[in-house]
Amino acid sequence: MTALLKMEGVGISFGALRAVHDVTFSVEQGELVGLIGPNGAGKSTLYNLMAGALRPDSGRIVFDGRNIAGLKPHHVARIGIARTFQIPKPYRQMSVVENVMLSAMLNERSVSKSRERAAEVLFEVGLESYVDSPVSVLTTGLLKRLEVARALALRPRLVLFDEIMAGLTPSEVKAVTALVASLPGRGITVIWVEHVLYAIMNTARRILVLNRGELIADGPPQQVVRDRNVVSAYLGEEEPADAQG
Amino acid sequence: MSTIVKARYSSPGGASLARMPKSGTLSYFEIALLAACVGVLVLGIPESFMDVVLLSFLWGGLALAWNIAGGYAGMISFGHAAFFGVGAYTSTILSVDAGLSPWIGMWLGAILAALVGGVLSLVCARLRGPFFILSTLATAEVIRICALNWASLTGGPEGLAIPPVASLASMVFDSKQTYALLMLGYLVLMYVFTKVLEASRYGFYMFAVRDDEDAAGAAGINALFVRTAAMALSAFLTAIGGSLFAQYFLYLDPTHVFSLELSFQFALLPALGGLGTAIGPVLGAFAITPLSELLRSYLGDSVAGLHLVIYGGVVIVVMLYFPGGMAAALNRLAARKGGKGK
Repeated sequence: MTALLKMEGVGISFGALRAVHDVTFSVEQGELVGLIGPNGAGKSTLYNLMAGALRPDSGRIVFDGRNIAGLKPHHVARIGIARTFQIPKPYRQMSVVENVMLSAMLNERSVSKSRERAAEVLFEVGLESYVDSPVSVLTTGLLKRLEVARALALRPRLVLFDEIMAGLTPSEVKAVTALVASLPGRGITVIWVEHVLYAIMNTARRILVLNRGELIADGPPQQVVRDRNVVSAYLGEEEPADAQG
Repeated sequence: MSTIVKARYSSPGGASLARMPKSGTLSYFEIALLAACVGVLVLGIPESFMDVVLLSFLWGGLALAWNIAGGYAGMISFGHAAFFGVGAYTSTILSVDAGLSPWIGMWLGAILAALVGGVLSLVCARLRGPFFILSTLATAEVIRICALNWASLTGGPEGLAIPPVASLASMVFDSKQTYALLMLGYLVLMYVFTKVLEASRYGFYMFAVRDDEDAAGAAGINALFVRTAAMALSAFLTAIGGSLFAQYFLYLDPTHVFSLELSFQFALLPALGGLGTAIGPVLGAFAITPLSELLRSYLGDSVAGLHLVIYGGVVIVVMLYFPGGMAAALNRLAARKGGKGK
């Protein structure tokens, strides 16, 4: 297996705040990697760096042998990295299928082919009964699934999921988890940020833990949850803080 | 036209309650409207109403051109008079000074306007909402002041006159009916173009950039390119309307063709009719142009300014009670009748 994505000493600061500092890891082709960390750990910033929404101050982001640090988001999407947004960003004046069609258009030649492809993806994520509905009828959970559908419609090689489980019912969590778990088998590498820890711990073989902008753990779930740094990052060492997830 | 009458794509899935209007299809309503427009010209109407009719056609076309940037790409512009004026002046100067037929000159004017529009959107790439609107308004004002003072080219405040010698090559005609036909041609072309655009991937790209630029970027869409192309296209088509306007009135002055009032008019018609729809700008133009012309001719002399008060009142009522414009109101009516109107 070869590394699809390599983060090499990536960092970015906002003024005096080092949001992400010297992060190094690599993800193999076909892996499903969980990325966790307390609120404000820098997970979303790291995603924005990978997706081109932010340009790193230092380090290289190598995707498929090419440094993509500083590429614009639409370039990053075109070379095969899809992302979802933590707060869903649907096209509000369009129907559900049209929302997904726009992603499908990246690879499909015609509008009608894009529509067919979008309908397929909507079926996959369980939104088939909302194809022609306006997005305003979708609940939070369904909007999250729409985000997943838009990402998958791009036919990505790497997909960055950002809290796609928040607001979902337990049965929805189960269905979406099964979908995510099936992606590596279809050649789609997955990095997955999630606060619903039981979903991610049971699905991912490898977990990365970010705290205060730094990578503090990298390993199988069982090992990571016992890691002293991770426990103290989540629970605090001296005084009790509120636990996440 | 027959290719557009058919649905451009079939929609999978059943008809749920909250169905979106499908884009890219031509409804019976639109065909009836077109037939009525042609009928008016064929059957003939009193000469005194011809002005209102042909102006409605011209404004309809211009409103559609504005709508490509303002309605589809979400780039609300209060400066389209700049493109209108550039088109009008380019074709007129070329025909009066260089003897070039306006049939050719209008395309050159359109290209020049497209360049202005493209540069405007690149320079204002980071501006959104009211800030973008103000920059379009300022652009039009700058161009107006330049035109006023560059007297050797534009004739300055005295304006430019086109010799009223009728000939096809100089696009000057004796009968208003011919002009009406010309304006109707413009309107229909704009309408067909809009329908083709909204069913194409570029139309979808514009909708995406309008609704959420971050999401569009994540889908591989270059938002800056889409915005620039939309503005350039809208400017191009507006300039064509400007040239037609010049050929009808045979007189141009900067205070009128670059005026703020004109810019507002371009934005108002689609807003009243229905932003981001093809039929909306046409409905807006067909409702508002006769209203403002009639109010002006009947009330303009007796009580100065009263026609503007009534006009403003109507605009406010429509904006308040039909936020989606007349097109949305008609759609709701059609939906209530069980979709019979579509």
